[in-house]
Amino acid sequence: MIEIEGLTKCFGDLTAVDNISLTVPKGEFFVILGPNAAGKTTTIKVMSGLMKATSGRVRICGIDTEANPLEARKRMAYVPDFPFLYDKLTPTEFFRFTGQLFGMEEAAIQCEAEVLAERFSLGEFLSKSIEGLSHGTKQRVAIVSALMHAPEVFVLDEPMVGLDPHHARVLKDILRERADEGMTVFVSTHQLSVAEEMADRIGIMNHGKLAAVGSHEELQATNRDNKLESIFLSLTQNADG
Amino acid sequence: MDESRPIPYWRLLAGVNRTQNWRRLKLAVSQSRLHAFLMGLFVVGYAWLAFGLFHKGLQFTSSFPGLGPVLIERMMFLLFAFLFLLLLLSNVIINFTNLFRNRETHFLLTLPVPHKVVYRWKIFESGILASWAFLFLIAPLVIAYGTTHNAPWHFYLVTPVFVALFVVLPGVLGSWAALGLARWLDRLAFQIAAMLVVVLVIVSISSWLQPETVTDEMLETRVLDVVDRLLARTRFSLFPYLPSFWVSSGLTLWVEGAVMGTFFFGLVLLSHTLFFGYIAATKSGGLFFASLSAVNSRGGGGAWGFWKRGSGAGQAAFQPKLLDRLAKWFWWGRADSRALIVKDIRTFWRDTTQWGQSLILLGLLVAYIMNLRYFSHRLTSDFWIDLTSYLNLGACALNLATLTTRFVFPQISLEGKRVWIVGMAPLGMRRVLLTKFLFSTAVSMTVTMILVGTSCTMLSVSIDRIIYFTVTVGVMSFTLNALAVGLGAVYPNFREENPSKIVSGFGGTLCLVLSFLYIVGMVTLMAMTSRWAFGGSSTMAFWAGWVLFLGVSFLLGWLPLRAGIRRMATLEV
Repeated sequence: MIEIEGLTKCFGDLTAVDNISLTVPKGEFFVILGPNAAGKTTTIKVMSGLMKATSGRVRICGIDTEANPLEARKRMAYVPDFPFLYDKLTPTEFFRFTGQLFGMEEAAIQCEAEVLAERFSLGEFLSKSIEGLSHGTKQRVAIVSALMHAPEVFVLDEPMVGLDPHHARVLKDILRERADEGMTVFVSTHQLSVAEEMADRIGIMNHGKLAAVGSHEELQATNRDNKLESIFLSLTQNADG
Repeated sequence: MDESRPIPYWRLLAGVNRTQNWRRLKLAVSQSRLHAFLMGLFVVGYAWLAFGLFHKGLQFTSSFPGLGPVLIERMMFLLFAFLFLLLLLSNVIINFTNLFRNRETHFLLTLPVPHKVVYRWKIFESGILASWAFLFLIAPLVIAYGTTHNAPWHFYLVTPVFVALFVVLPGVLGSWAALGLARWLDRLAFQIAAMLVVVLVIVSISSWLQPETVTDEMLETRVLDVVDRLLARTRFSLFPYLPSFWVSSGLTLWVEGAVMGTFFFGLVLLSHTLFFGYIAATKSGGLFFASLSAVNSRGGGGAWGFWKRGSGAGQAAFQPKLLDRLAKWFWWGRADSRALIVKDIRTFWRDTTQWGQSLILLGLLVAYIMNLRYFSHRLTSDFWIDLTSYLNLGACALNLATLTTRFVFPQISLEGKRVWIVGMAPLGMRRVLLTKFLFSTAVSMTVTMILVGTSCTMLSVSIDRIIYFTVTVGVMSFTLNALAVGLGAVYPNFREENPSKIVSGFGGTLCLVLSFLYIVGMVTLMAMTSRWAFGGSSTMAFWAGWVLFLGVSFLLGWLPLRAGIRRMATLEV
């Protein structure tokens, strides 16, 4: 479960996130949309503990991320748009390293990594150096390492970038399954199709504020046109105008 | 997941980084055996040559009864005092990059790794990166000190322990300074503060390095008094609260056989290292995260916003800034080349690490020139004036080579993933390369010619020889820049964004080695065929020397530049 209360984040004079409040319950697949520089990534960075909020608070599974960051991070996983990987390690070595940092037993690491690696077709790359892998393959390695410890909250920033249609499908399926099992999924994306297809609820951010939050149907009800694209454009462009 | 079992963060981080570095090393050796051989040769050659020179020098100094041991002891105190200062500076720069600009740091902060563990790991890593080269450089001197004094075998065991304890202190202090800089200063504020510090250091050095008036009578009758006055300027190294004082005292006492004294200073050092090390390891994680958050939260304006005139949104953002207006003065140059140069200057200006290193180099150069002013007063023999003037040419050229290797060589590589922007533009990669060459030559030639002209004036050299040295270094500027740009294009590294790491590859090492060989060879040639120096050569020999110098300079510059242009024509990124 993610609870965001009155979150504000300023960069000098610029207010990137402006007093947003949001609760994403356990097991929900939440997709956040918004134009460039809307404040999505900043919100995610505050949630994942990479920066302090100017004001407000974020709780992960009831744990305040600023007061008790370590406990919060134990329960979550975060995959940025360009994830960091140790380039001279092999994917297997990287999985073992991240698994051990999360306190996983060797047998559990092996078991979880094998299952996930198979689903993401990583078998042939497991013993190859990460530096030689394509961007999409690296993205899959990062996702597997994040999912291994079965996080209660999974935050992804533009996860589909670099993934081919097949592996984008695999990722969507896994995220849906995990959400059904109780994992909270928080995805930031520009791909409206992902939101339409996958999201239980959608949030639209613009100029640091949450312009709208609701299920696809609820958002449709606020707009004459049923398309998410029209809703998105009307919310973000009206505000600009 | 076993919640009760403690996670061995340190072991995991050390393990993963050890594997990474070992594989990097293996790959580097397997990719270029020549590079590995050159590096090995340099390491062994330096250690051997430096030890030989230091040993001879110390033996010579110790042969002066009474005075020798005093000078050598003071040299040891000065060595560690300056080592402390250099380690501190180096640790500030490397910690800043490692704590706030490093992708691994950001990655670890998203994992359940405590802030204090990330901080501890990063200052450990920075400490090693900041210290190893300095320790390698001074090791031959310390060993020569031991052999000159017939130190017992255990001196060579105690010294590494003292040095290992010692390097922790500048490491910790440097990391705290980096935290403070990151927390309170944005880029522009840092640049202004750094410039003020450099000016302050230059002013302090110029007032500190006042010449001592020593008459022949004083030298004959009051030697000890004169020595005492000369050594007064180095007395700061005897300040008992300096960690360098504890190391120097411990080691010099050990050589003298005063084991209890060494034991005392060893315990002083150990207690401080443990105290500061403990605070850094356990209490600084929170400060680190606050500083990191401040860096990540920094906006474009802030307290220094008033400096940033011309910035703004919409049309205001397109208003030409100072640099754009300056570039228009060069109306006769092509617009695309001017745009490339303006981009390069801006990139350099906005990279704090590059700036910091340039300022340190500039500060050292100014200190060097100020020293020359007083040095020349003591030179009475023509031989020494001649020798110093050629050594000065060599020193200035070596400085130039450091600049070209460090800042010019990585230019093409730094275009990196952005190379398509200039590569696809109508100006073409050939002109990109030539523009970078001409611009870097113009800048470095101006700086070096001023430097040589000023230093020759300080040495009170005649005007015709000032012109001779200035023209010589001007030719060397062309060659060294062409060599750096050419080899930078032949051996690009588009994966790396850190210029220091680009330089440490094969191409950078080759560039540095060739530059140094060229300088040593040409300065020797010029000195041997000089019309004035060392008895004077014939006019024929003088002109033959010049023709050879120009020929070698042309070939060493033109061949790599041509190879670089050809490489650019077939570049695949």
